[in-house]
Amino acid sequence: MSETFTIIYVMGGIIAALIVAMSLFFIFKSVRRAKEIGMDMSVIKETVRNSAIFSIVPSIPIVIGIGIMMQYLGLGISWIRLEVIGALQYEIIAMNQVVTPGQVITYVTVATALVIMTLSILSGPVFNAIFYKRYQHRLAELQQKNEHLMNTLTGALLGGLFSGILSAMLVAGIFTIGTPVVAKDTGVAFYGEVTLITFFVSCLIMVACGLCMKRFSWKWMESYALPITIVGSLLAAYVAVMYVE
Amino acid sequence: MESVNRTYNDDMHHWGRLFTWIALGLILMVPLCYCLTAGVMPLWSKLPECLMFILGYLAIGLVEALSYAPLLGTGGQYLTFITGNISNLKLPCALNSQSIAQVKDGTEEKEIVTTISIAVCSIVTTIVIVLGLIPLAIFQDKIVNALLPISPYVVPAIFGGLTCVLASRYLKIAAVPFVLCILLCVIGNVAGMGAAFNQGTMILVGMAVSAVTTTILYRRGNL
Repeated sequence: MSETFTIIYVMGGIIAALIVAMSLFFIFKSVRRAKEIGMDMSVIKETVRNSAIFSIVPSIPIVIGIGIMMQYLGLGISWIRLEVIGALQYEIIAMNQVVTPGQVITYVTVATALVIMTLSILSGPVFNAIFYKRYQHRLAELQQKNEHLMNTLTGALLGGLFSGILSAMLVAGIFTIGTPVVAKDTGVAFYGEVTLITFFVSCLIMVACGLCMKRFSWKWMESYALPITIVGSLLAAYVAVMYVE
Repeated sequence: MESVNRTYNDDMHHWGRLFTWIALGLILMVPLCYCLTAGVMPLWSKLPECLMFILGYLAIGLVEALSYAPLLGTGGQYLTFITGNISNLKLPCALNSQSIAQVKDGTEEKEIVTTISIAVCSIVTTIVIVLGLIPLAIFQDKIVNALLPISPYVVPAIFGGLTCVLASRYLKIAAVPFVLCILLCVIGNVAGMGAAFNQGTMILVGMAVSAVTTTILYRRGNL
């Protein structure tokens, strides 16, 4: 495992502090605007609570990702890379451009991998910093000219996103039933049947939550339905993985 | 967005850009700090070899910034493209919050709910990661071995539930793109190119197909 220098931990801490500061600042600005336009503050409180509860479980795989990457890059660099834009699979692929299997990892290889990882993720933030405002004003003009079209296109993008994710996930799941695929970067076996079980258990739990909300008027469940669904279906995944292994 | 107050929106752009430039500066400093501390230089000769990889990811990043912008709102866009984890964390979080708050499309209320949702998500994720560093430093192997087997199934766990929540709202728009994407993935897998039809690729394909089919349906007056 690569050594992590103190300065890297300091950089990680500064970046974490920036993310928290930026987030708090945007929350403050948004809450102030919400009051100006007369929004119901209970909606804001509900949003904060829902988002906080929802975010806990899906954040755990990021920690696991750090655990995987730290074997090669050390804890500090892995923390920074997964703290900012860039997912585990992209970072591992970027690292593999420099580090070949079995190669001894030196300071030079880590430095080179870090440069490649950093360069690869710049386009999104740079676009935002330079062009996004102009782009968004074009979108806003379109919204003013034809609100229905703009809302339809937004819905189309979302529908397309879901179509893409679900199709890739379900078809890969079906085609790998009985023939697990081992990920080269993590060594984790991916079972198609477990993917399908997890997905359908997730659907079932959400439907059950919805029925409870309707039948028993459990309004409180609105905030917890999705986190309950995620935890329940991951438990099902855990049992399914134990069974197939 | 006729109901978005321009002062608020311009304010978000101003601060979003400022924070983004600061974040970019910090991100670029990390390799610099590492090289100075370790007393090494990167292998610059490797960069031309990795050029296609770097250009490919730069292109993906740009397309993502263009296509996610209408979904994330102003503040959400700036935050998300610093912190990442868009389709598996930030976007589902925002969609969940929008659904519970029952905010209408194109309204300032939706913009506010989305920004707050993504900001809270970013804070919680940062805290979870920082707290997770301590046991990782001590028990790295045990933690990774215990949780790794279920880490590939977080996305199905999220999207199973989310699909049920949003199906009724987007079924008409998404039906045709969904069927086309399924067909594409099936053909790709049958042809032995299943790895190419991964989630990352299919998100962009799905959005493109959906934009085309929706435009056709819209012009026919079906939407």
